[in-house]
Amino acid sequence: MTAQARDEASTVVRRRWWPASFDSTLLGLALILIWEMGVRLGHVPVYLLPPPSTILMRILTDYRSLFMHTVVTVNEVLIGFGLAIAVSIPLAAILAQFRPLERAFYPILVASQTIPKVAIAPLIVVWFGFGLFPKILIAFLICFFPILIDALIGFRSTPKEVIWLARSMGAPRRRIFLNFQLPAALPHIFAGLKVASTLAVVGAVVGEFVASDRGLGYQLIVANGMLDVVLSFAILVLLSVVGILLFAVVDLVERLLLPWHISHRPTGQEQP
Amino acid sequence: MVATLEFQNVSKSYQTATGPIEALRDFDLTIGEGEFISIVGPSGCGKSTLLSMASGLAFPTQGKISVKGEPVSEPVTDLGIVFQTDVLLDWRTILDNILIQPEMRGLDRNAYRPRALDLLKMVGLEGFEKKYPYELSGGMRQRVSICRALIHEPPLLLMDEPFGALDALTREQMVMELHQIWLETRKSVIFITHDIQEAVLLADRVIVMTPRPGRIAEIIKTDLPHPRRPATMETARFISVVAQIRHLFEKHGVLKAY
Repeated sequence: MTAQARDEASTVVRRRWWPASFDSTLLGLALILIWEMGVRLGHVPVYLLPPPSTILMRILTDYRSLFMHTVVTVNEVLIGFGLAIAVSIPLAAILAQFRPLERAFYPILVASQTIPKVAIAPLIVVWFGFGLFPKILIAFLICFFPILIDALIGFRSTPKEVIWLARSMGAPRRRIFLNFQLPAALPHIFAGLKVASTLAVVGAVVGEFVASDRGLGYQLIVANGMLDVVLSFAILVLLSVVGILLFAVVDLVERLLLPWHISHRPTGQEQP
Repeated sequence: MVATLEFQNVSKSYQTATGPIEALRDFDLTIGEGEFISIVGPSGCGKSTLLSMASGLAFPTQGKISVKGEPVSEPVTDLGIVFQTDVLLDWRTILDNILIQPEMRGLDRNAYRPRALDLLKMVGLEGFEKKYPYELSGGMRQRVSICRALIHEPPLLLMDEPFGALDALTREQMVMELHQIWLETRKSVIFITHDIQEAVLLADRVIVMTPRPGRIAEIIKTDLPHPRRPATMETARFISVVAQIRHLFEKHGVLKAY
């Protein structure tokens, strides 16, 4: 390393002693505390807004049945999400390679997306019955589009110089795709996956709302019917935990796969 | 002398929504082995068209292009390209960014490792091979992209305003470094630039282009002794060549005469 090069490379990396996620944890705890205090001090009836401690107690006492329903919902979410990934990304890759195909398909995809999934959920139940499949299908349909769009943008955003360079190396199309286009598209793809990961939970719950005898969505309908507000809140908490965990897994995979991407660089280390 | 690259009366038009645009007209040039050619001209003089045709990614409307006597009909792979942007791959280390060149060609990447390290040393980036592009400055990144263009020892180097995005001081440094690299490797180089001084300092011959449609206004032999140094810019010959090019630009309305 020459002295000049060393100077150019030296950048100040400031690391704090606590992890960045600590800040949001702290804020979350503060909000829960305010909720708890507010409800208790304001004498809000439990059937309107139960305090967090009561919700937590309910989750603990009912954990057997809640756990069973959670497993059902998680199963639908994961299969629907997984299917969406398996279909959207290859489809986007194909569309990005062949422009005429994209021009033909894209408007139809957009048009199909404008139909609200919630509105066609009853139809899907009519067609496919009450089992696991309609829930998976709704979760899939709701995840499909954001992943497809982001992946398509990712695959299309390769600068023309990069393609030019790759072709000057005599690389065949498949190698150009795998070595230049796919890695460059990954940050976009992960953005789509993150959006879709939260939507997958919505899709599964919508499916369960319409016709089901198990799952958190079903249980939520039951709890509402009985005006069991504490149980409703307990289910909402579990649903958001499922959503957050799925999001966190996607985020973790992204960090492992894309340590080079700008959004994962240590703070303070800007491009010199 | 064997001609590395030959343009024979090349013209190129593009079809656009508003009708055809003539990018280049009657471009006739033979680039010899180990010759450094600078092409200097205003924006829209067909410089990029020239490079895409030289690399076999676009074809002339009229005329003929040949590499080592063979007419060009498919992408030319026996060359190295350096763009204005470094187009390094963010997800590869510096070393892997250089080695992608042999990798994509289906060559043994380990065999090219020592040479990649030598090239990095030559451009003053020894010890950076494990870094990622984002950890480097603009000048350092462009040096890496020059290494990538040289690793497979191509006879021809195409450079499209390679220093255009760098600050003036880094730029001056890079010009001298490129000259040194050229003296050591003696590739044929087509160096496209907007900068008259840069063009003259580096080249054996400077091709002065007119505005669209791009035509050759003049081919000027620089006749400056090697090796060229910053002090070369103070010599009478250098100053007169620069002035000659400036007058040509004034004549063609690229620069305003005062």
